[in-house]
This record gives sequence, structure tokens and C-alpha cells, in this order.
Amino acid sequence: MGQLFAVEVIYRGVFQKTLAKNITRGIVLAAHNEGKLGISFGRYGDSPERNGIPAKSFAIVAHDEQTLEAGMAQYEPKQVDLTVVLDDTLCKGAESWAWYGLQPAHHALKPGHTLLVVSLEDAPSLLKNIHRREEPYKLGILKGVTSFSGMWVYKDDHTDVRVLGAIAKAVPELFSLAAVEKFILEKLKNSLKVTSAHTAFERFATVEVKAGEGNPEKLFAFGKPRWEDMRGGVSIKGQPQGGPYADPVSGKVGGFRPARNELFKKYSTRTMRPVVNFSTCTKCTLCWLNCPDASFDVTPDGTYDANLQACCGCGICEEVCPVKNCISMVNESEFHDNDSQWAKFREDKNSYLKWLETTIAKAEPIEKRSHGFRYRGQYQEQAPEALEIAKKG
Amino acid sequence: MSTFVDEKPTQNLEAFKGVKKVPHEEYYTSGHRTCQGCESAQIMKLMAKAAGPRTIVLGSTGCMYVANTSYYATPWGLPWMHTQLGSSGSSALGAAAAFRVQMRKGVMKDEPINVIAFCGDGGGADMGLGAISATMCHPDYNLLILMYDNESYANTDIQISGTSPYGVNTSFSTPGKIKRIMNHRWKKNVAPLMLVGHPTVKYVGTISTSYPLQAMNNVRKALSIGGPTFIHCLNPCPKGWDFDPVLSFELGELAVNTGIWPLYEVENGKLKLYGKTEQIASGRFKRLPVRDYLLKQGRFAHFIDDDIDYFQSKIDEMWNKWLVPGIIPLQREIEAE
Repeated sequence: MGQLFAVEVIYRGVFQKTLAKNITRGIVLAAHNEGKLGISFGRYGDSPERNGIPAKSFAIVAHDEQTLEAGMAQYEPKQVDLTVVLDDTLCKGAESWAWYGLQPAHHALKPGHTLLVVSLEDAPSLLKNIHRREEPYKLGILKGVTSFSGMWVYKDDHTDVRVLGAIAKAVPELFSLAAVEKFILEKLKNSLKVTSAHTAFERFATVEVKAGEGNPEKLFAFGKPRWEDMRGGVSIKGQPQGGPYADPVSGKVGGFRPARNELFKKYSTRTMRPVVNFSTCTKCTLCWLNCPDASFDVTPDGTYDANLQACCGCGICEEVCPVKNCISMVNESEFHDNDSQWAKFREDKNSYLKWLETTIAKAEPIEKRSHGFRYRGQYQEQAPEALEIAKKG
Repeated sequence: MSTFVDEKPTQNLEAFKGVKKVPHEEYYTSGHRTCQGCESAQIMKLMAKAAGPRTIVLGSTGCMYVANTSYYATPWGLPWMHTQLGSSGSSALGAAAAFRVQMRKGVMKDEPINVIAFCGDGGGADMGLGAISATMCHPDYNLLILMYDNESYANTDIQISGTSPYGVNTSFSTPGKIKRIMNHRWKKNVAPLMLVGHPTVKYVGTISTSYPLQAMNNVRKALSIGGPTFIHCLNPCPKGWDFDPVLSFELGELAVNTGIWPLYEVENGKLKLYGKTEQIASGRFKRLPVRDYLLKQGRFAHFIDDDIDYFQSKIDEMWNKWLVPGIIPLQREIEAE
């Protein structure tokens, strides 16, 4: 049996579905240009995909048919030669549709191999989020704006070919830049994209990540039930009713915290999180009432605290909140924990408000940011900005 | 005068008087695997909150089945059971009948229990229509069928359904270069189908998740009035409609404000428009152009001005020509000419 190459692409469900598919397809076709065989596929467990969930797409490539078939017989590759992370907030890990718990971004990466992240940030700030690992590996950053689009429209900002160019440099045994070029000219028929792939190849560089370097956070995990734990028929236990809880400072018990699903958290589903100014909150209930994930805890003093176990970062709370800047959605990469904001506010009001001010200054206003389509033609408008960064590399 | 209808008492749930009076208890909590900004999950939460603890819920196949039960985890705090795609009607009737028998035999305590069956637009407006219709003809049983409508088979990646709007882009109606509009069907008008077709039904209504208090109170009214009842809820779907999840709430409002989604309830045969719909009908609020609603969604990104004009003309017709504006698509003979 020959060598089996495997590449995994971690992406945001629906928003980057087409992008991830284009990349894994490109890997297979570029490798094919050098006489290799391959196949690309999405992870079955991610389907049907939902907006924002961490999802995975794979490409496996081999020199001979037998090796490829052996690779295809696996549910998903256990070890990969390269991991691509298409959205840098996924550096916090990926929790798929349960049973896995939270897995670090480099979960399947072979020791010493490259983790490729599309990001505008630098390695030290990404490593605040990427979990620690016992084996060393390489971190490569492909400078770029996270390419988000929707179900029906694709934002063609060259992220696909830039990733391919970077892969040619990171894993030269898989395919060469010439193979990528041939694929682009023959299948995508776009010479501009060849330039983008070349630039990415030239500029792409990696840094060594030492063993034990990175985010020390303990990964969310749970015990799987054994067969004797399962109940009769196909019934499962429902969620218990929540109840009041204690103020961390005064000890006053009140408010309401709903029960939280123990087997599934939304830590890695978010690209943004709500930041709440508890001192301007008018207790109007709208954020709490309109949250589809029931993620707001009613605090003992009657304000509303987004519980980050349950919040998936949709931003509806910001939209319905009648007070200016009371709830602001801030990019997830600004945060390194999932602690209660209200508890921090109670512990030290002034330093919380100070932190709040600097944090929400980084928030992108609602009118500007986009996960998906906001109005006709917006994807076309967004592409030039991304292309500008692509050109500079 | 006897009707021979064997009525049983209901829980008599009174309306919540204001958002601050809404109870904190959640019977549909976090941990479901829906999209960011999923309004279908939102109506499940509101429905469960409105119905309260003495309720069982039956769910036919769809997003709200798959996303809420997979891999041993669930957000439900109420007894919930899956039922087949087209059988929300029959399962609700069966469950209500079973309760009655169990209570009569003394197997369980004799008390009013809410029976709710929900279905998506695929399960309700397409496959389950016959079963729901049959159920609506059984006045003896207290139950509610709630149809959450995200205008496509969203769970299986957005295929066209009977309630998909005109011209929409779905997996089954991708616009082409030669033929731009691949769905030329107009959205099925399901709530009026239920109310006109089943004269003994005591409550039929439409709701929107962008008006959560009203939605909960209408669910409570439907559960309290007795007999089989039906509610149709429009739920913006950020995945299939292709918009930023932050717009979920706003699109629900826009659907009402443009006149595309009229809000009304029919209680014992009496029609009542409510909210902005009532203001539109009485002329106190001018309908917004449908353009505002359509162009915020990627599923209409292929629309040219012609298509938007056609869509607008159909909505204008619905408000200006229909016998009961926004609801009953009949025209008087003299006006139709």
C-alpha cells in the first residue's frame, strides 16, 4: 500500500459550504494533474448543515487505487497531512453534532504538519485560542478576510485558489504549484486566479508551534452513555426545569437560569457574541424573549445575561434591544473564555464597564457586517476588498 | 338541543398580560442544533412556554424533529414524540383519543392535557394536509396543530414546498440563464383552507415570531377554546432564505408590513385582523413595498425589476380585490369583470 494523503477543511456550515467544496475538489483535481487519484467528501455527521455550525470537508489522494479505496473505507480520515481552517474563530475548536465534544482545530493533524488558517491576525493572537498540543506542529497563516456567503450566492474572492497555492507550498508531495495552475486554467478558466494562487504560494510561511504552546483551556467533553445506561424503547431523558440562582457577590438568590443541554454546547458555533451593558439595561425582556436558543439567564437583579453555553451568536438580541449599545455583537476572536459577563459586572462594575468600552469599540456595526446576503449585489461589493488583501498576500 | 359532540374541558389558559408577565420557565431550552437565528426554534420555544407543563407535543419530521433530537440530546422539557412526515393530524387525534380512553378507564388522572402536534410546511401544507383536514372534522377532541412555515423543505437543504413563494431559488428551482423563474406556483394559503373547509373548527389563526407575546397568547387561546384548532406561523429561515441571521426578526416584521403575511385569527367564525395587518386593512398604515422584503434575501437575488413588480401586483390584488382582503381569494362577480 502506498501513501495516502489526507487534507481536512474546517469551515462554517452553509456560509462556507461552497467554498470548502471548491477547495477539496481543487485539491483532488490538482493532484490528478500529477497522476494521482483522489476523492473529496463532506462529513456525513454534519449534514444537513446549519448556519454557522463547524463542519468538515475532506480530500484524500493516493498514488494507487487500492490505497485510495482503503482511505475511502474510513468514515473520515483519522490523521491528516494538512488542516485548513477557513474562519479563524474556529481556532477555538470545532464541536460537531455531538458525540465528539469540542475538538481542537489540530485534532487530526499529524505531528509536525501544517495547520493553515485564513486570518488577518498574527500567530501569537491565534495561539491564544488554538488549544495546546503535546506534539509540535506548524502554523501557517494565509492572510485574508473570512469569506462568508450564503446558501444561494457564492462570494468569489479567490480564497479557494489561494488556499490551493498555500497547500502546494505546505505539502509539496501532494501537488506542485504547476498542477494548481493547470487546474485553474482548465477547470476554472480564470487567469486572474492563477496570479492569486502564485502570490499565496510565494507569501505563505509557517511558524513552528512548540509542544505545549497554546490555549490551556480544558476541552468540553462528556461521557457517552453505555448500552446499559440507555432507556427502554427509543426514549431519552428530557431537559429538567431550571430555577433561580445566586448572585456571586451578595449571595441573593433570584432570577432564572434554564437547564442547559449537557451533551451539546454552542461554544464553537459562534462567530460573534453579545456583550451586554448591564448598567443601561432597562429590563425590557426583548432579548430574552426573542432568543431562539433560550440563551439568556435572568439574573437575580432582573437583567439578562447571555449564557455562552447556549448562545450561537445570531445577533437577534442586538437587533431587538431598544437601548443604544446595550447589546453589541463582537467578533469571537476577541474573547478567550466563556465566563458569565454578569458575574464579572457584579464583581467589579467599573473595570467591567471599562472593559466593555474597549471591547465594543471593536464591534463591527450591524449595517456593515454580513454573515450572508444583506441586499442584492452585496457579495460583489465585498469581493474587491478581499481581493485587495489577496493581491498583497 | 343536543349536538352529540362529546366535549371535554380544556385548561383555560389566560392571555399573558404584557411581556413582563411571561413566565421564566422554559419547556424548550437550549442545545438544539438549529441554525443561528432560527425562527422555527423560536416558535417551538414560545409554543412550549405558552402551553405550559401539562402538555404533550408531537412533532412530524422536519427541521424541528431532526435538529431537536439527534444524538441523545434534546432541548425539550415537555414529553415529545416524533411522528411521520404526513401524520401530525392523525397523531394529534390519536393522542387526544388515547388520553380520553386512559382517563375514562382510570389509568391516568382525569385532567385536561394540551395536545399539540406541529409540522413544517412540507409536513403540513403538502404531505399532511389530508390528515390535518380529517382531524379538523372531529370536534370532540381538544388539540392544536401548529404549522411552522419556513417556506421550503429546509432540513434536507431547501427543496421547494407548497408554501414556497413565487420565483424563489431553492434546490429544486435554481434559476437558469434561459429560464429565470423556476417556481411559478403561488404560496398555498393554508390557514383559510382550514377555516373555510372545516366550519366547526373554533379557532384558526396566523402568527409571526416577530410578535412573540401575541403569538403565545394566540397559542393559549387555541388551546383553551376546545376542539381541533390550527395555527399557521411564518418563520424566516436564515439558511434557506439566505440572509444574515441578525435579520430574522426584522424579516418577520417586514413580511407583515409589506402585506405578504397577514396576521389574523378566526374565533368561533369571527374574523379579527390584528397588529399591523389590522392597520393596513383599515388604512391607518400604508403597506411597504415588497421590494424591501425581497431584496434582503439571497433566495430572490436573481429577481429583476419585472419579477418584483409582478410580486407586488399579486400582493396588491390580494389586498384590493379579494372578497376578504388578504385572506379569502374570491372576488365578487361584478368586481371581477
